[in-house]
Amino acid sequence: MSNIIKGINIPLNRVEGDLEIHVDIADGVITDAWSCGTMYRGFEEMMTGRGVLDGLVITPRICGICSLSHLTAAIGALDVLTNIILPDNAIRLCNLALMAETIQSDMRQSVLMYMVDFANPAAYSLHPLFEDAFRRYEPLKGSSAIDTIRETKSLVEVIAIIGGQWPHTSFMVPGGVTSIPEIHKILQCRMIINNFRTWYEKRVLGCSIERWNEVITVGKLYEWLEESEKHSESEVGFFLRFAMEAQIDQIGRGTENFISFGSLLLPESTIVKKNAGGRFVASGFAQGTKVELFDQFKISEDISHSWYHQTNDGKALHPFKGSTKPYASGNSGEQYSWAKAPRYDGFPAETGPLAEMVVDESPLFKDMINKHGANAMIRELARIVRPAKLLLIMDIWLDELMENRKAPFYTSIKDIADGEGAGIIEAARGALGHWVSVKNGRISRYQIITPTAWNGSPRDRNNIRGPWEEALIGTPVKNPDNLIEAGHVIRSFDPCMVCSVH
Amino acid sequence: MTTVYWMQSGGCGGDTYSLLSSNILDINDMFKNLGIVLLWHPSFSNISPTEHLNMIDNILNRTLPLDILILEGAIIRGPAGTGMFDTKNGRPKKDLFHSLAMNARYVVAVGTCAAFGGFGVDHSIEATGLQFCKRKREGFLGENFTSLSGMPVINLAGCPCHHDVISGTLMAIASGVNLELDEYQRPIEWYGTMVHQGCTRNEYHEYRIEESDFGEMGCLFFHMGCAGPLVPGPCNKLLWNGQSSKPRAGVPCFGCTDPEFPRATPFFYTPNIEGIPLQLPRGVNRAHYMVYKGMAAEAAPERLKKRTSKV
Repeated sequence: MSNIIKGINIPLNRVEGDLEIHVDIADGVITDAWSCGTMYRGFEEMMTGRGVLDGLVITPRICGICSLSHLTAAIGALDVLTNIILPDNAIRLCNLALMAETIQSDMRQSVLMYMVDFANPAAYSLHPLFEDAFRRYEPLKGSSAIDTIRETKSLVEVIAIIGGQWPHTSFMVPGGVTSIPEIHKILQCRMIINNFRTWYEKRVLGCSIERWNEVITVGKLYEWLEESEKHSESEVGFFLRFAMEAQIDQIGRGTENFISFGSLLLPESTIVKKNAGGRFVASGFAQGTKVELFDQFKISEDISHSWYHQTNDGKALHPFKGSTKPYASGNSGEQYSWAKAPRYDGFPAETGPLAEMVVDESPLFKDMINKHGANAMIRELARIVRPAKLLLIMDIWLDELMENRKAPFYTSIKDIADGEGAGIIEAARGALGHWVSVKNGRISRYQIITPTAWNGSPRDRNNIRGPWEEALIGTPVKNPDNLIEAGHVIRSFDPCMVCSVH
Repeated sequence: MTTVYWMQSGGCGGDTYSLLSSNILDINDMFKNLGIVLLWHPSFSNISPTEHLNMIDNILNRTLPLDILILEGAIIRGPAGTGMFDTKNGRPKKDLFHSLAMNARYVVAVGTCAAFGGFGVDHSIEATGLQFCKRKREGFLGENFTSLSGMPVINLAGCPCHHDVISGTLMAIASGVNLELDEYQRPIEWYGTMVHQGCTRNEYHEYRIEESDFGEMGCLFFHMGCAGPLVPGPCNKLLWNGQSSKPRAGVPCFGCTDPEFPRATPFFYTPNIEGIPLQLPRGVNRAHYMVYKGMAAEAAPERLKKRTSKV
């Protein structure tokens, strides 16, 4: 007779907010899962009726770790209404700040929130690499944790130089940015980024970014890992060795639908190459590794399993038409989360660095998925190595900024027309959109879909699970009191619950 | 040894990320120096849910002394006072916070949401701060609450709170220093100066060189909605991330340390009568101020009028 446990509730921390997962377990394997965002915050409601620029101040405060992403999406939506061409320097400064934010988020999540589980003695004291893991990742004490705290603190200084502070600045405004740093500050940014890159190459990759970029197949990844101690002892190398031994590469497959909204506008004059969608980070939707063009009008939000008034007969709506009216009905019915269920062309889709890699046609990650399928290890790997892609470009934009320092960074905008605008970008955690309607100079509707709403979505009206609910199915459970494996699966999506329940 | 339990509720985690930029020392070194033991932090702890529940039990039965209880984010009371907009294991999280607060030597509200309610006060989530709801001393724990040390809630206002104010407060408590508080229970140490103090645009303010558009050097107070002269805080004194402040980078201060933050009127705009702000720098006499500013504008040097002085 099989051993069935129904409805275990797992509270998860290190997910930026509150998340509870309900799972059914049979014979030591998860057989079903429900993801529950346990808090409602009401940001969309509170935007209605406010001044048209207020989204630039209020929406960054949805999230303490990706506040600039919200600012970028908010300004993107207004840029549609002003319809002006942004000065090149404004684009460069916005991109530099956003990339710095993304990199700090990737590194902090990887080391302080993901790998820290490897230092949990209750789960891994018997793992052959445990002692080393503990030495590296013990909370706020491990050597890698301390390095990460120091290096990311230095990196966010770049954002403060450009925008005044981090988190929660509003230096992006309609028409550009509010200032351009003085020459010595631009030069200081370059040094900060160079220093960060030196640490990233030495400690995180264990090799130069150029060498890492030669790793384009699974075979070459294993070769790289065995090539030198520098590689195998780096954060990436250690992560791979620990994760394979712990079989994290065997769990967390998910839907294998991937979505990236694309991000980082390109200046008119730059040597950086455009990708699909016309920006630096490509946009697209993929089933498996087959990528198709992205069309934002294929997005809808389903609320059939979310704690909201079931408007429109429960049919999913595009965010220009959506509404957010909370209804706390408890656990008595169909509804079980404050997150809504975004769908693309009716499909659930995962988003984040792995989705970006797939949509961007990264040979390594496409090869990994084609050979073994998506899993929690490669999803996290994509995050740890994404900074390699961004750091090279930051250098270029800083050089261009220095060369063109006297060119404008702001074009005066006097009025913002009524209408609808969508700001669609890639935040650190993936696809983020703000959909704004302006009427009589005031905000009349504000709808936001965050990356974690995609990843941590509840079921839709066809009873299709969200990506990490799906990814949990089949996950083995060694100890029902400490569901560390389920934690690895969910945290490989880098959840940000405060965003998803905005 | 000083034990700290950090709880998050209706907020964004921004105070935690602010703290990671602590200029006093990196947080790992600071905690080590001060003998601070971080019992629990939602973003950093790696103990299992069961161990966490046992820890809470031990705090509540006082076998585990809790020196500092920190709340980040507002207490969510909605809908209709039930707290069901913010639950843990199906129960309102506010109840758990209440139990912990009864067993803590100090209670610290980090950020404006925890201190004064912040974003959700006038909305369906019925947010409130711990001891204040906006300006009224009628927050979640009640006007007469004191923690086991005898101190009321210490309010570290700001959105987010400045990193060095959070570290500084931990440093003070761990060192046995009792912080003097202002009328809204913010430590005077950091909230005894206005945000305006130390702003590199002060010379422009002094001679009333006003801006009404972004991207210029002048003062943002008169037209652009800057609250620097209206609210207290150390942003221009201690600087953010060791580097700058919003007004230095051309972004008006949004007044985030004020109990009324976020204000109801639009940001980036100064409500005014005939060009004179409705709200004048804290404590000034309106008639005297207008005369002074009129004369100051007349006396303004060319280098300021031409915006050649850097900020």
